[in-house]
Amino acid sequence: MTGRPRATNTNKPTGNMIRDSALGLVPETLGDYMALNRKVWECGPLTPAEVEIARLRNARRVNCVFCKSVRYDIAKADGLSEDKVAMIQDDFRESALSEREKLIVAFTDQFLNDPSGLTEQLKASLMAEFTSQALVHLSLVVAHFSGFSRCAVSLGGMPDELPIMEVSVPQ
Amino acid sequence: MGWVCNGDDRDSTIGELAELAVPFAALYAALWTQGHVPAAVLELCRLRLAQLHRCAVELQRHEIDIPTEKSEYLAHWDTQSIFSPAECACLAFTEVYAMDTQALTDQHAQAVKTHFGDAGLVLLVEALGILDGMTRLSLLWQLPAKVDQSPASGQRL
Repeated sequence: MTGRPRATNTNKPTGNMIRDSALGLVPETLGDYMALNRKVWECGPLTPAEVEIARLRNARRVNCVFCKSVRYDIAKADGLSEDKVAMIQDDFRESALSEREKLIVAFTDQFLNDPSGLTEQLKASLMAEFTSQALVHLSLVVAHFSGFSRCAVSLGGMPDELPIMEVSVPQ
Repeated sequence: MGWVCNGDDRDSTIGELAELAVPFAALYAALWTQGHVPAAVLELCRLRLAQLHRCAVELQRHEIDIPTEKSEYLAHWDTQSIFSPAECACLAFTEVYAMDTQALTDQHAQAVKTHFGDAGLVLLVEALGILDGMTRLSLLWQLPAKVDQSPASGQRL
């Protein structure tokens, strides 16, 4: 990981964390990117707390320091506590997460580790727990945040550690 | 069809959730019309990702015309003079991105920026995030490859 940013947005800061990031250098995609980001949080059958569980699992696996440090206020308001966040670790299966929450973490891991190796057992469990729409929502959540985390890692400027920061969904 | 829903391809699967399908389609379309990295270079990167993930469905997908010779030799881009220095810089970046994003170096990034600037580098990593994500979902959703369709421009796994 590099401590030096590999691309810098020198535009005047707007206070919007996505617009002020390096993504702001590409206005042709910025609006669509932000619109999709909002919809991922605000639409779809998964609750904000469930979206946050998938996002944080991805952040930890991709090791994006920025993404790991962020907590979305909408998920906190939905009941996601730091005690629960602490359970989103490699031993999550032995944790007090609900079976549904464990499946969200397992799906995220499958996407990141071995997308072509889905077992019949995990597939059956996912189909039993989630509707088709919820599975599509979960899929797009994981793909979206995986891309965002990898984008941040690829562009460098990542500190070794950051304090937890509560943020709102950028509008 | 895949197991997630009745859809048998990416669009019909994502279309299960219209509220997200519309903004996703807009973002995906914007990748191919922006002015920072040529769409043909992105298509080479997309197909290289599909090769590395061994994803037949994504190899069958066709977004942008590229010369048949380039698609045939894409897996060996680093030894073929038909690929431009700019294409090689982006393909080298793509390969490391796919295997271990944290292994990308300042040199990988600088090579891309030499040809496309800071904004080009940002666009490339943004695009790779979307293209890599969609390739992973095609595999995870177990979308079937079409039996009567060859891989795009002669691509092989």
